[in-house]
Amino acid sequence: MSWFKLNRSLHRDIGYFCIGMTLVFAISGIALNHIHQFNSNYQVTRTSHTIPLSGVDIETDEFESTLLTALRLEDKIKARFWQDQTTYKLFLEKDTTLYLYPQQNEVLIEQVKPRFLLRQLNFLHLNEARAAWMWFSDFYAILLIYLALSALFMVKGKRGVLGPRGLLVLAGVAVPAAFIVFYSS
Amino acid sequence: MKAVLAPIMMIGTLVLSQAALAKTYNGGADMSKLIPISTLLNDAQKYTTEPVTIKGTVTRVCQKRGCWMQLASDKKFQTLRVKVRDGDMVFPMTAQGKTAFATGTLKIHPLTLKQTNQRRKAQNLAPVETAQVLHLFAPVAVTIED
Repeated sequence: MSWFKLNRSLHRDIGYFCIGMTLVFAISGIALNHIHQFNSNYQVTRTSHTIPLSGVDIETDEFESTLLTALRLEDKIKARFWQDQTTYKLFLEKDTTLYLYPQQNEVLIEQVKPRFLLRQLNFLHLNEARAAWMWFSDFYAILLIYLALSALFMVKGKRGVLGPRGLLVLAGVAVPAAFIVFYSS
Repeated sequence: MKAVLAPIMMIGTLVLSQAALAKTYNGGADMSKLIPISTLLNDAQKYTTEPVTIKGTVTRVCQKRGCWMQLASDKKFQTLRVKVRDGDMVFPMTAQGKTAFATGTLKIHPLTLKQTNQRRKAQNLAPVETAQVLHLFAPVAVTIED
């Protein structure tokens, strides 16, 4: 097999192998770029309820039981905390927090749910798994370098990078270079 | 068939990995150095160089990047923020209400009067006339227990 055919075969097969990782990094990359506009890790829902609280001793088991019944929550309270002098927090087992505002007779229910798939993709992108994933990511990066360089030799002659299509390669280099020139320093 | 199975297996593995999200960071906190948060804050300067472990209920977590979490002190209304550089550790929002242990040192950041009152305004507190000091705990290892 000539080096040209070998290169094309390797480019194709490594390309297939990289599809999964590329999707992981591409999708999570968009999600993390826009995390200030859209929380791709968690879905946080808040609902407000008016419940008589003023004058009630809210630091008792009886009150907590009554409150959960009134809010129709089948859950257990695992921790309690005075956030400040006007806000009392009750943490429930199932990723739910109750904010009690006795002066306003208000209870805010905050429920946190990890987003399906996006949370896991971000987990990988931010390397929360640490060591093993880091080595695998390095391996993937090396494969991407190979894909980029081998692409230069996929087509011979003027139909390849030696022809007008070479301008596409230059454009791909020019864009990041322009960002460095205009935005760095 | 194989073409369908591969992505399904990949997604399944990723979703199952949710259950395996680490609850310890850098090997977990050193429980032999445990002191109350109120003790740490009472002698803040001392603990800027001496590593200790603190314990508290997680009351808030950075929603977007998980780069900080707030721990409740043993003293009423007192809290301490455990802060890491983005990506060093990622604290899950689902840690709220759980007990966390963090080993590290205290960082003291003097605030200007303007910064002090901006922070107090965000916390719905009345403005003050003197600048305050911000305490942040920089952990090297963390354990979050259910």
